[in-house]
Amino acid sequence: MNHATRFTYDIYLVGVGGQGVLTIGDIIAETALRSMIPVSFYPTKGMAQRGGFVKAQVRLGRQTVGPNIPEKGADLVIAMEVSEALKAVRFVKPGADFLLFGHVWAPTAVMLGKAPYPTLDQVLEQVQEANGGGRETLPNKMHYLAPESLPLYEGTPVAANVFVLGVAIGHTGLGEVLAPSEVAHIVQTRWTRGAERNLFAFQAGQRLGIRDWGLGTGGDRDQGLESVT
Amino acid sequence: MSFLKMRLITGNEALAFGALRAGVKVVTGYPGTPSSGALDSLLRMEPDGSRYVECSTNEKVAFEIAAGAAWAGQRALCTMKMSGLNVAYDSLISIAYSGVNGGLVVYVADDPGVSAGMAEQDSRGFAMMSDLPMLEPASVAETYRLVQMAFDLSEQVGTPVFVRLVASIANSHAPVDVDEPVGATLVVAPEREVKLEKDITRYTKAGAAICKRQHRDLIARLEKAGQIIGEMGLNRLQLRRRSGDLAERGLGVVASGAAAAYLEEGFEIAAQFGCQRDAISVLRVVATNPFPAEEVRALLRHCDTVLVLEELEPYLERNIHLEARKIGFEGRIIGKLDGFFSRIGEYGVEHVVRGIGEALGLEETGFFPKNPVSSIAEQLAAARPITVCAGCPHRGTYMAINQAIKGLGLKKDEVMVTGDIGCTILGMNPPFHTVWTEVAMGASLGIAQGYVHAGVETPVIATIGDSTFFHAGVNGLINAIQHQTPLTLIIMDNGWTSMTGMQVNPGTDVGFQRPGDRRVDIASLIPALGVEHFFIIDPFELDESVATIQKALTLPGVKVVLSRQECAIQAQRRGLRAGNVQVIPENCTLCKQCITITGCLAISIGEDTILIDPNLCYGCGLCAQVCKFEAIVKESAI
Repeated sequence: MNHATRFTYDIYLVGVGGQGVLTIGDIIAETALRSMIPVSFYPTKGMAQRGGFVKAQVRLGRQTVGPNIPEKGADLVIAMEVSEALKAVRFVKPGADFLLFGHVWAPTAVMLGKAPYPTLDQVLEQVQEANGGGRETLPNKMHYLAPESLPLYEGTPVAANVFVLGVAIGHTGLGEVLAPSEVAHIVQTRWTRGAERNLFAFQAGQRLGIRDWGLGTGGDRDQGLESVT
Repeated sequence: MSFLKMRLITGNEALAFGALRAGVKVVTGYPGTPSSGALDSLLRMEPDGSRYVECSTNEKVAFEIAAGAAWAGQRALCTMKMSGLNVAYDSLISIAYSGVNGGLVVYVADDPGVSAGMAEQDSRGFAMMSDLPMLEPASVAETYRLVQMAFDLSEQVGTPVFVRLVASIANSHAPVDVDEPVGATLVVAPEREVKLEKDITRYTKAGAAICKRQHRDLIARLEKAGQIIGEMGLNRLQLRRRSGDLAERGLGVVASGAAAAYLEEGFEIAAQFGCQRDAISVLRVVATNPFPAEEVRALLRHCDTVLVLEELEPYLERNIHLEARKIGFEGRIIGKLDGFFSRIGEYGVEHVVRGIGEALGLEETGFFPKNPVSSIAEQLAAARPITVCAGCPHRGTYMAINQAIKGLGLKKDEVMVTGDIGCTILGMNPPFHTVWTEVAMGASLGIAQGYVHAGVETPVIATIGDSTFFHAGVNGLINAIQHQTPLTLIIMDNGWTSMTGMQVNPGTDVGFQRPGDRRVDIASLIPALGVEHFFIIDPFELDESVATIQKALTLPGVKVVLSRQECAIQAQRRGLRAGNVQVIPENCTLCKQCITITGCLAISIGEDTILIDPNLCYGCGLCAQVCKFEAIVKESAI
């Protein structure tokens, strides 16, 4: 590996087992490999087969690198679940992209009203707080995707993880690190079935007219929580 | 070396490929996170017949098979998680004293930071106790190279050699230039002659003279290993120029394992605060046993401050203090023994930066806080206790145990239910709260007997999974049968070693066993052991299961209930379903009993009715059996 990569780019992914969080990391890592970018991809799932906390860390650009991203080190956070997003807050680098897909996967105790679940505002506030008091105080670039933004393909919603990956490529710094066409290629060839469907999901994300907002000017961001079952 | 040949593989796979490249002939192991991937990938690659690969009953058996093969002159690999090494250790220490002929590599994976449960132990201590060399790769690519060296070292010295990974290396993926095509065509191991050597002075422990000679030989072997490791230059010492001030001799960093992977990044960050990278000397310890005394002494003579970066226990650090005393080093040693770092958890870039900041008295020592408090953000996050999957048969068993206890007029807090390792332990969590204890493989049986003999008057129940029962549970059952200790054992047999990634175990259906392998059926084994009260239940049939368990609890002596239904994840992979479950919304009163009792992930609360996610539901029908309003119905699968 003697190419002259001089940038580094760290991605911290969180969500719930079954949402395809690890697959996003895997596609990014595979794209990096093909693009001759040094990569470390560290997926961590707990003991649960489904429904447990999962995270993945992708580190691009370093020849020698430990698998764990330090606190305030991630150039991009992708959170696929509202509450789990909180577990990534301390890893976002000041001024970096924080992409939240507003799916709510309520644990049983929450469903039964026996345990609290954070509101979207609380989560957004925490992302904002992550800038304060540290070594730098740059506002994070918060991108919120309501679950309803998931497009339909032939009448059914597309895979959220592929869609969110498309959004990350189209609307965060990741798109400058990885060639969108390379990512699209992996998305298309990764699964034996559904190549067109996945490409559609990816491109829909890429081209989404996403509303980026500074924190505190939330607009219609709350709509996402209301209709989630 | 072309970049195009690079493959994205895990540390576990790198270990497997490295072993293949080294011409390994026999591979054994028992799955256990974070080590499972190594054995799994070798099992997948087995077909060409030049190697023998098996998932063994437990780590002790696995190790003995590998050691036998190495005694017979072949190269052998044995894989396990740290807890497995505890199991294998009895045989391992004996083999260590005897030495080996063919190369024998023991792969053990530790889990600092506890990504997957069990004791946060540091297996390096075992290498020291048994005087066996241990190599610790700091990256995926290094794993591939070092495991090959480990085989060579093992053969040159005639000793088993440990390769230790931690979870973050074992499970992370990185590009590795795997020299040989891997997958279909693999390196064919060179044929080695099978050695049949009869020598009781070496292969037995017959008498004090023999044992003491073996002990001497063991020590000599480790010494020889140290010499070879030195010649190989495995532990890399880089002495830098001393920093500007004449009075300052500078900083030396000793790093091993995963901690070493963070050095360069840490130096880069520290440079922002005035740390001069070229003023720092580094000893990268790759072979942690034997202790690299010579390199450490050279570093101590060169520096006035030494920073030790090693995860978990301060094994290197203690020896560094020893060497420091021997040569009269008067500088400072920063590590765990002075209380600066913790013995708990993983290391990261933070530790490198904080350590350098402390050593050099840099301004920005607050870059990473010394005691990072769990952030407020994380405290706000909803608790997500892990539970069994939708459709998991264990759910039915926990529900049945709970109801049976209630049926006897007892409270849940009055009946001890010991637990065991694997998915079956999930019954400790809500909504079941069934299982009380988790100790070690098979321990549910022994612990339960202890409670009985302590004088507990209520029924004592032990629970265990199928693979765990074969691993180390059957011994405990035999003990209970011999001594007629009254208890009820519930074996939750889902046919697979599920939690570690669906490995085949002795009880797995014969259709999934390797061609030529046999199934050992628990249902035949239990009566053969002389258990008089033996029952088989289907955990998806709640009422019958409750009645059977309740009956078993009232009978004298040793009772065994075999709760049998295939792991839903595996069944669904073959397109199977237990049935079709429908909600009848007009009957639903939203009493939520289905959720409260089953805790099933497929059920959620809608506006006027509960909802069942058809993509998650396996059709087990347990929710239908607890619904009092006929709002959930199950149709059997066609």
